[in-house]
Amino acid sequence: MKNPRIIGQSIPRLDAPDKATGRAIYTDDIKLPGMLYGKLLRSPLAHARIKRIDVAKARALPGVKDVIIGADTPQVKYGNWRLVPGSQDELPLAVDKVRFVGDEVAAVAALDPETAERACALIEVEYEELPAIFTVEEAIAEGAPLIHDESPGNVSLVRKIAYGDLDQMFAQAHYVREDTFKVHAVQHAYLEPCACVAQAEEGSRVTLWTSTQVPYIVQCLLASTLGLPENNVRVMKVAVGGGFGGKMELRPWEFCAAFLALRTGRPLKFTLTRSDELAFGRRRHPMSIYSKVAFSKEGKLLAKDFQVLLDGGAYNAMGPTATYLCGTFGNMLYNFPAYRYLGQHVYTNKPPASAMRGFGAPQAAFAAETQMNLAAQELGLDPIDLRLINAMQTGDEIPEVATISSCGFKESLTKVRQISGWDLKRKDKKPGRGLGIGCFSFISGGVFNWFNTKYNFSAAEVKVFEDGTAQLACMACDIGQGPDTVLRQILSAELGVSIEKIRLISMDTAATPKADLGTWGSRVTLMNGNAVIQAAGKIKDMLAPVLFSQFDLNQIHDLAFEDDKVFVRANPKRSMSLAECVYKALKGRRGEPLTARGYYTPRNKGLVSPAFSFGAQVAEVEVDADTGLTKVVKMYTAHDCGVPINKMSVEGQLEGAVQMGLGYTLMENLILDQQGRTLNTTFLDYKMPTAQDMPPGESVDVDTYEPEGPFGAKEAGEGLAIPTAPAIAHAVYEACGYRCKELPITPEKVLRALGKIK
Amino acid sequence: MAMPHFTVHQPKTLEQALDLLSRHRSGVKLLAGGTDLLMKMRQAGLKAEHLVSLNRVEGLRTISYRDEDGLVIGGAARLADVGRHPGVAQHYPALAHACSVMATPQIRNMGTVAGNLVNAAPSADTAAPLLAYGASLVAVERGGRRQIKLQDFFRGPGLSVLEPLEIVEAIRVPAPPARCGSAYERLSARSQVDIAAVGVAGLLNLDLEGRVLRCRLALGAVAPTPVRCLEAEQMLEGQAPDEALLMRAGASCVRSCQPIDDVRASAAFRRAMVQVLAQRVLKRCLALAQGGAS
Repeated sequence: MKNPRIIGQSIPRLDAPDKATGRAIYTDDIKLPGMLYGKLLRSPLAHARIKRIDVAKARALPGVKDVIIGADTPQVKYGNWRLVPGSQDELPLAVDKVRFVGDEVAAVAALDPETAERACALIEVEYEELPAIFTVEEAIAEGAPLIHDESPGNVSLVRKIAYGDLDQMFAQAHYVREDTFKVHAVQHAYLEPCACVAQAEEGSRVTLWTSTQVPYIVQCLLASTLGLPENNVRVMKVAVGGGFGGKMELRPWEFCAAFLALRTGRPLKFTLTRSDELAFGRRRHPMSIYSKVAFSKEGKLLAKDFQVLLDGGAYNAMGPTATYLCGTFGNMLYNFPAYRYLGQHVYTNKPPASAMRGFGAPQAAFAAETQMNLAAQELGLDPIDLRLINAMQTGDEIPEVATISSCGFKESLTKVRQISGWDLKRKDKKPGRGLGIGCFSFISGGVFNWFNTKYNFSAAEVKVFEDGTAQLACMACDIGQGPDTVLRQILSAELGVSIEKIRLISMDTAATPKADLGTWGSRVTLMNGNAVIQAAGKIKDMLAPVLFSQFDLNQIHDLAFEDDKVFVRANPKRSMSLAECVYKALKGRRGEPLTARGYYTPRNKGLVSPAFSFGAQVAEVEVDADTGLTKVVKMYTAHDCGVPINKMSVEGQLEGAVQMGLGYTLMENLILDQQGRTLNTTFLDYKMPTAQDMPPGESVDVDTYEPEGPFGAKEAGEGLAIPTAPAIAHAVYEACGYRCKELPITPEKVLRALGKIK
Repeated sequence: MAMPHFTVHQPKTLEQALDLLSRHRSGVKLLAGGTDLLMKMRQAGLKAEHLVSLNRVEGLRTISYRDEDGLVIGGAARLADVGRHPGVAQHYPALAHACSVMATPQIRNMGTVAGNLVNAAPSADTAAPLLAYGASLVAVERGGRRQIKLQDFFRGPGLSVLEPLEIVEAIRVPAPPARCGSAYERLSARSQVDIAAVGVAGLLNLDLEGRVLRCRLALGAVAPTPVRCLEAEQMLEGQAPDEALLMRAGASCVRSCQPIDDVRASAAFRRAMVQVLAQRVLKRCLALAQGGAS
């Protein structure tokens, strides 16, 4: 099938010039007349009972307009898993207990930020300190203090998967090994710290501008926590400076802004600082992972026993989804007959972990892929050969999940072997240098409906006008990953209208069709793309009669919508401009506008995802055996994202993913002291790699055509963030002999493993 | 944290600057590049109602090198300007290297060498090279002018012997003799845009027979102040610098440091790196000194 020309082109982001020149408006840029500034008072203790709060002195400070504590609020618990109300464990402001250093206790509204901050310092809170827990092992130990009374053993959620005869497979296997792995917390470090502005109208309506990746989820949860009908809450977003999973829930400042705006009758803004984000913000789950695998003599993977303890921090946040997905990522990449997964989401007294690019997969893959490399070595097989023996292929079934409708995994392995010079470099080994491999697969959006929406998962509304322009309205959330451009490419491809003639509205829950679950799980291109195609198809049906009657066409003719024209496919001379066609259709409809809505919810695609991406990555590193420093020399990537809609966007995703993977593997780490306070709260000491740390890269797109995706597309956002850690870890082993099973790979760990320091 | 309000004064001469300092006495701070000062005011609660800027004081940004006088770095000379000054690049490679890799390009464009020293952070990148080169500071106050050897300057983290009403007018660095090599090595988690977890600077000066006439080694970020490694210096001076001796001397530097465990590195790692970097620095110094002799 031949795709329209605009599919697969490298179109620079339509929003890029405004962002690069500083003209783009972000939430913190919004200033409304009479606007107040909000500040949050946070808990200094990791675990404590609140005995008393006195806000009198704060209230008395000139310039302070309002102070609220938990008792002033409706106290409705919230969380994204509306389907399981028991999992909704968060309150906007703590009522009885605080559960991590940074838990929100009170909020102040004042004329300026300085006064708000001074007022926070005047709030007196008397705490009764409780014993705090900082590791999953302590949390599940017998007699451990309870963080939430409702969750005995501090386990909030358990996910099990089991099929095949595991015991028999382990008993008869040629080779069995078991390993334990640990991974640490890192942060999204989106460039734009969270911010929001709320404005109340007509007493009980509220508009919230917020830096979010899920406007619809924020609308619903904000309404329920305020005790208002959903329709009284309007959520808008302006430009968003990144999210990576860190902005996909209702957050306390969003509630406090709306609540204070309703109480004071004045608009109100909250803006977090970078230090707030690093000290208290969401992060990737640390995990303790046990994995046992069995292989036949030939290297066929027979069974896997995969047990994961997720360190969720003080609240569930998106942890339940990560707990589910970890199990699914454990059997998505390789085909084997027996699998058992036990995932447990554990509370600790740390800032809550949540979704972060890869949603459980970077952790699961670090363990599983490192174990594949260990097994290959002991089986005497090349690590790529071992993967080729076991790789998933098109038509294979991920048991109890789905049948894979397109899979370019084996091609990816072959291609990455080629471009990295794998065979030659492994034969001619240079001291201090090594090559390592890591692989991934990822979902293209989730089928699961834990949010329990009654609407379709995505929706788009297309309007066309008699001047030949179009308007696309959808709630798809561009947080920097590019759907504002990609969705217009898809509409342009389907309707033939030039991309620059499409106005996009994507930022307003009151002006876009319901619903859209937002940006997460790499769902936007596939799910919104399909909704756009459906809406465009309906518009084409409205326009077709104009041509059929104008040219007196036989009903067997096909029409083409290309280059701002509509014409008869078999006889392109029978043609009119799109503008003329819309004009005539409007005349024929006596002025009834040409508007159509499209929707998408996956059907008959199992309960995880409609499509799966695959890929393989090779890292080439140098390790300085004296200093322990690892330098990534080059990254090689071959991946299958179906048909890329915008090649430049896919390249950008790959570069960004390598940067995040590099930080995760080698530098980034949130360091907490014994009281649960974060010690590195600036970019000086939270070591995120900069552009100057980026290694050169080489990549190949393995093109497959995904039948469920728009024009054959699949995800390219999160999967690429998965393979870097195991690839670098393997390369470090090949370079110096240190086998990392506990991230990050620091110079100190390398030197300790080499016996150079104690 | 909110930034308190303050007044900035921009004197044209040192005399005016000194007058402003003594007129306001308390609650006044000197402003050069501001890269440390403003962070302290914004984040660490440092209070100052008056800032006296040195940036328009005539002549204070001058950098000059003459074989007979050595190097003079004005009190407001920028790190980036010092790093790319031809005299510095040619005669003081350790200092040029420190000035061109420390912090970030933006900070190097604003921050000054004098400010880097006066701030007295144990990790100050220019301190170890300047210790190795035997630098002094020229401090002026209303009553007069004094010269302070850099090795006597630091008193502890953030502390120096500079008096509150003194201004660093210049840093003077003697001209390096013939047959001299110097180098600076630093380590940090990020390859660029980072603070040093360990820094080592060295200088070797050979006599006509190729023996070590003078050796200077200095460490950053591994003690409460930048420190010299007297033991290693003494091991080398008067000796023929064979590889085994360089290795032993480099290893002895570990005894000159008192590193701590912190979020940037453990004490054990820092100790090990002092040895590795000192050995590398000495090898490099020797190669340069020998190259210069031929």
